Amino acid sequence: MDGEALAFMLLSALAILGGILMLNLRKVVHMVLAVVLTFLSLAGLYVTLSAEFVAVVQILIYSGAISIMMIFGIMLTKHNSKERRTKTPVRTGLVGIGVIVFFITVYYAIENLFYPTEATNLHVENTEQIGILIFSHYVIPFELVSVVLLVALVGAIILAKNKEADE
Amino acid sequence: MEWIQGVFTSSPTIESFAIYLLITVPFLLMVLGFVTYAILAERKVMGYIQLRYGPNRTGGRFGLLQTVADVFKLLIKEDTRPKLADKGLFILAPVIAFVPSFMVLVVLPYTETLTFANLGIGLLYFIAISGISTIGIVTAGWASNNKYALMGGMRAVAQMISYEIPLLMSLVGLVLFAGTLNLTEIIEQQQYVPYILLQPIGFIIFFICALAELNRIPFDLPEAESEIIAGYHVEYSGFRFAFFMLAEYVYMFAMAGLITVLFLGGWQPIIGLGFIPGFVWFALKFSLVVFVFMWIRATLPRLRSDQLMEFAWKVLLPISLANIFLSAILKELFF
Repeated sequence: MDGEALAFMLLSALAILGGILMLNLRKVVHMVLAVVLTFLSLAGLYVTLSAEFVAVVQILIYSGAISIMMIFGIMLTKHNSKERRTKTPVRTGLVGIGVIVFFITVYYAIENLFYPTEATNLHVENTEQIGILIFSHYVIPFELVSVVLLVALVGAIILAKNKEADE
Repeated sequence: MEWIQGVFTSSPTIESFAIYLLITVPFLLMVLGFVTYAILAERKVMGYIQLRYGPNRTGGRFGLLQTVADVFKLLIKEDTRPKLADKGLFILAPVIAFVPSFMVLVVLPYTETLTFANLGIGLLYFIAISGISTIGIVTAGWASNNKYALMGGMRAVAQMISYEIPLLMSLVGLVLFAGTLNLTEIIEQQQYVPYILLQPIGFIIFFICALAELNRIPFDLPEAESEIIAGYHVEYSGFRFAFFMLAEYVYMFAMAGLITVLFLGGWQPIIGLGFIPGFVWFALKFSLVVFVFMWIRATLPRLRSDQLMEFAWKVLLPISLANIFLSAILKELFF
C-alpha cells in the first residue's frame, strides 16, 4: 500500500466518522464540530486528487465560513441545545430499505464506471489552469453563476430590511 | 541549504519522514524561542513607550528570564476546569486553536532555499488554515459555560469573519500584479520594487485587517479585560491557557512573516546591499513589522464594538474593492 492509498483510507474514514458522529451526537455544537471534521477530511481527499485549489477553497468556505455561520445561527436563535428523538420501527425499517437500495445503485454505478487513462499532469499549475478555463471556455456559465449570487445577495438584503421596517 | 531543498522535494519514505521531524522540531523550538522573547520585547517596548521600565528583575537588568519564569509558573499551576463545562470540548478547544497556527508556518519562504512547502496556492492556504483557529476560539467560549467566555467567543467570530473579507480583497490587487499565489514567486517578483510601493492602499488595509485577525489592540474586543474579563479564555488556567497565548503569538510570528513576504520583499536585499545574506534581510524586515505591531498596541485605545463592524464593512471593504479596480487599470496601462 502506498502513501496515497493510506491517506485516502485515513481521510475517508475520518469523513465517514464525522458524518456518523454528526448524526449520533446530541448537542448541536458537537454536531457542528463533527461536520467540520468531515469538511476538513474532504479537503484532504481533494489534495490527494491533486485539486489543491478546491481543497483550500473547501477549507476557506466550508470549515471557515459556513460552519461558523452555523454556530452563529445556533447560538443566536432559541432552540433546545439537546435534541430528543423518538424511534419507530416503521421509520427505521423504511430508512434501512432506502440505505440498501442506495448502496446497490451506487455499487453498480461504480462497477460500470469507465475509466479513461489516468491524467498525470493535473498538479502542474492547476490554479492557473482553472483561471484560464473559467475566464475563457466557461465564461458564460461563470457570469450566470455570478448573477445568481448577486440576486441572492440582493434578496437577502431586502429580506433583512423588511424585518426592520416591521418592528 | 541545497540539501534541505532536495529533502523537501524527495518522495515520501520513512527516512524522509524522520528527516522532516529532525528539521521541524528545531524549527518549532525556534518559534517557541521567538514567542518567549516577543512577549518580553512587547512588555519592554510598551514599558518604554509608556515611560515605564517593563520587566527588569528576573534574569539581569533587562528581565531576560521574565517570560521563562512566567511560562514555568503557568506549567506548574493547577489545571482547573469548571464543573459544568463541556469536558471534551473544553480540552479540545486549545488544540483546535493552536494546531493551525503552526500549520500556516510551513508555507512561508524564509530564504531562497529554506521553504518547507512550496505550494502553488501558498497565499490562500495561509488564509484558509488560519480561519480554523476561529472555530477553536468559539468552541472554547462555548465549552467554558460562562457568559463572558461565550460573549468573547462570539465577538471573536464576528470580528474574524468581518475582517477576513477585506483581508482577502486587499490581496487581490497584489495577486493581479504578481500573477501567482505562490509566495516564493511573489518574493522573486519584488527583486527591485517591493509591493508596499506598488500597492500602498492594499498594504494599509491588509495591515489593519491583520491586526484585527490577531485580536490585538485596537481590535482586542474578544479578550477585552475591562469589559468581559478576558473573553473566551477566562476559564482556562495553567498550560491550556498557555496554549491560547502561544497560538496568539505564533500567529503574530506568521502574520509578520506574511507581511514581510507579501509587501516587503522577503529575503530580497535593498539594491546595492546584496552581500548581506537573505535570512538577515528577512529577519530585519520581520522584526520591523513585529515592532510596529507592538508600537500600535502601546499607543492606541480599543474600538467600540459597533465602530468595529462599521469600520470593516463600510470603510475597509469599499476601499479594498476600489483598490482592485485601480490595480486592474494600472496593470492594463503600465505592466
